[in-house]
Amino acid sequence: MLSYVASKLLESLALIVGVLVLVFFLVRLTGDPVALMVPKDAPQEQRETFARMMGLDQPLPVQFAQYLADVARGDLGDSLRQRRPTLDIIRERLWPTVQLALGALAFAMTIAIPLGLAAGLNPDGWIDRIARTVGLAGQTIPNYWLGMLLIVFFAVELRWLPAFGRDTAASLVLPAVSLGFAGLGQLVRLTRSTVLDVRRSDYLRTARSKGVHATGLAWRHVLPNVAVPLISVLGIQFTYLLGGSVYIESVFAWPGLGTLLEGAIRDTDFPLVQAITVFIAFIAISVHLLTDLLYGWVDPRLRVA
Amino acid sequence: MLKNGLLTMVASLVLAAHFAFAQEDVLVVTLSSDPTSLYMPRAADRTAGNASWSLYDTLVWLNEEGELVPQLATDWQISDDGLTYTFTLRQGVTFHNGEPFTADDVIATWEYGGDDSNDYPGYYTVATSVEAIDDFTVRITTAEPNAIFLTTMAKNWAIIPGDYMREVGIDAFATAPVGTGPFQFVSRTPGERIVMEANPNYWDSELPYLDGVEYRVISDPSTRVAAIQTGAVHIANRLTPELAESLEGEDGVDVLTYLNDRVYYVAFKNIGAGVGTPLEDARVRQALNYGVDRFGIIEAIFSGYANPAPGFVVEGNLGYDEAAMAPFAYDPERARALLAEAGYPDGFDIQMGCPADGYVNINEVCQAVAQSLGAIGVNVDVDFQTTNTYWSEPQYAVTGPMFVDSWSSEVGEALPRLQGALIPGNYYTTWEDSELEALINQIDVTVDRDERAALYQEMHERMRNEPPFIYLYQPVIFEAVASNVQGYRPLAAEEYFLRSVRLAD
Repeated sequence: MLSYVASKLLESLALIVGVLVLVFFLVRLTGDPVALMVPKDAPQEQRETFARMMGLDQPLPVQFAQYLADVARGDLGDSLRQRRPTLDIIRERLWPTVQLALGALAFAMTIAIPLGLAAGLNPDGWIDRIARTVGLAGQTIPNYWLGMLLIVFFAVELRWLPAFGRDTAASLVLPAVSLGFAGLGQLVRLTRSTVLDVRRSDYLRTARSKGVHATGLAWRHVLPNVAVPLISVLGIQFTYLLGGSVYIESVFAWPGLGTLLEGAIRDTDFPLVQAITVFIAFIAISVHLLTDLLYGWVDPRLRVA
Repeated sequence: MLKNGLLTMVASLVLAAHFAFAQEDVLVVTLSSDPTSLYMPRAADRTAGNASWSLYDTLVWLNEEGELVPQLATDWQISDDGLTYTFTLRQGVTFHNGEPFTADDVIATWEYGGDDSNDYPGYYTVATSVEAIDDFTVRITTAEPNAIFLTTMAKNWAIIPGDYMREVGIDAFATAPVGTGPFQFVSRTPGERIVMEANPNYWDSELPYLDGVEYRVISDPSTRVAAIQTGAVHIANRLTPELAESLEGEDGVDVLTYLNDRVYYVAFKNIGAGVGTPLEDARVRQALNYGVDRFGIIEAIFSGYANPAPGFVVEGNLGYDEAAMAPFAYDPERARALLAEAGYPDGFDIQMGCPADGYVNINEVCQAVAQSLGAIGVNVDVDFQTTNTYWSEPQYAVTGPMFVDSWSSEVGEALPRLQGALIPGNYYTTWEDSELEALINQIDVTVDRDERAALYQEMHERMRNEPPFIYLYQPVIFEAVASNVQGYRPLAAEEYFLRSVRLAD
């Protein structure tokens, strides 16, 4: 078990370093902060002073080594624009994003799980047809487009819900639905196919041949076996929602990490873009690590792998 | 527990609705991005300056007509050599924190503004000294005569309370900014909103008319439109022409259009890649100006919402004269004749750089320019480059003998773009013309506005006969404003100016 944990930890560390390398160099392809932050008519000296102050005059490898050393010490750097620690800025914007992801997940689960169960228990019935359509729609409709559509219909035409912002509980509804819709599609399909798999399994055939009633079969045998893969998918869904809310936050002017990242990219605020990306990657990798470890704990067969 | 939560939710909804009705005179306006700072010297992006200006005053203000008018200075004198400005300060003005406004605060504004960590220290360090003659008289000195010094002050020197700044420092100041302006800072939720309330002790006791202002950050333009359609905001800025058109006929919403003080142009080079090309002949450069169908470009790409640019001095600028400054006509015949006269009857091949996606519709504009010029025999190879490489090197080193760019001005005259694009040695200068250079330098040190206006007209003539650019267009800006908003006039530099705005019932 110990070597299993060690290998998983090492894997995660390698992943994080990989993310750091990618983020650092990709961000530098997007623009030159000196050209964008210094006024167009500024003299050459001001450009140089600025580059020096921000450490941008150093060769890239030196900048990267410095960056790695800082990250190792838990320092993700200061924002170029706001001139304060990026982690402080991230902390201010974290909760709205978590809230939105939770809302999206809650929405997806409440609809997807009952729908997927019903569909799996009655394959090819009319509920199944609805479930398959929803599953397909969730995977194919771009969420920002859905967001705009919902705004036009529920905010502008019907005036039922606010079009943007994070003012009241009602503000959460439209962004959570738009963000959660893709996850909903995936969850419906997963629940449905898991139910179908379980129904085809040997133990269920045994139970059925023993004469267990259909309802009892569903509740006592199918549900518990569907729950296991579902829980692991929910964890992954959640990290996906945390990182994937950039468009939705922008469409709904939701003050979370997504709009923060959007602004940081527009302002070519390198340290901030890096910090947000690394931060989200860190959460995602941690959740995966935890899932892996939990699996190893639950299923001894995996420990040797 | 759940029931309690629901009750609180309902209660907060009701409360929110109640407040929405109680505070009738709070104007809600959109910002297209979250301001980086509310301290002016760090408010490099326009959005930040836009929100910040409600908090501050300056010594002199540049009003909607482009005139300098008294604000915290009641009067000022400029020495004959144009180097020394003596300001008489307004008495009895207090900052939002109760600190009285005196000469010391002007000194602090200058000292802290010139800090190296700021975006624009140069706007402050242009003054070499700021001295207090007495509590209400300040003398400011510049090293050289500077035509737009007062305008620079008007656009940047937001007066801050010296004692408070010295106590807390720039970083803390930026999170709880204090000025003498018509509105005072209440709170800021990052990425979401900035709340300000009326300054009850404003020195102009008539103003402001509003009880407060709220800035809402909405980065997506179609969401800004939805926000004004649902009545959640009173002013939605930076709309695209399509979105503005979609608001036509909408009840309770008016669409405002005004010209942006920004000129799009194709620059010629007579240094770097431009040496030895046909562009060195003035007749060729005139031919290219006649050969570009700027009117067609405006119709086709901007649905008519842009003005053809007559030169670098445009409508609203000091020295602009509509009668004398017509844009080049679209005249391919004349263009061909001029080319033939210059010895290029069959035209020539040339490369033109284009900042891919660097501006609204710029890719289409570059292609349309190339197409227009193709019709007079000038085959333009459009060199699309990412804005990263395009703007990070001195422009003469980047692309072919011509390149597309634009330049705005916030000071009500063309000087910044003239200096930036025509003074040798500057990053974006690719055309060297000693006569133009001398004229620009003369404008720069001419403090008298009328004399300067005359110089701009002379400049325009030269830039038309010996064009360093193909002048393209000046974009139009769209804003949606709720019909009950009164007294709102946007400035050409896309700034909100809210002190004299009212909300009708």
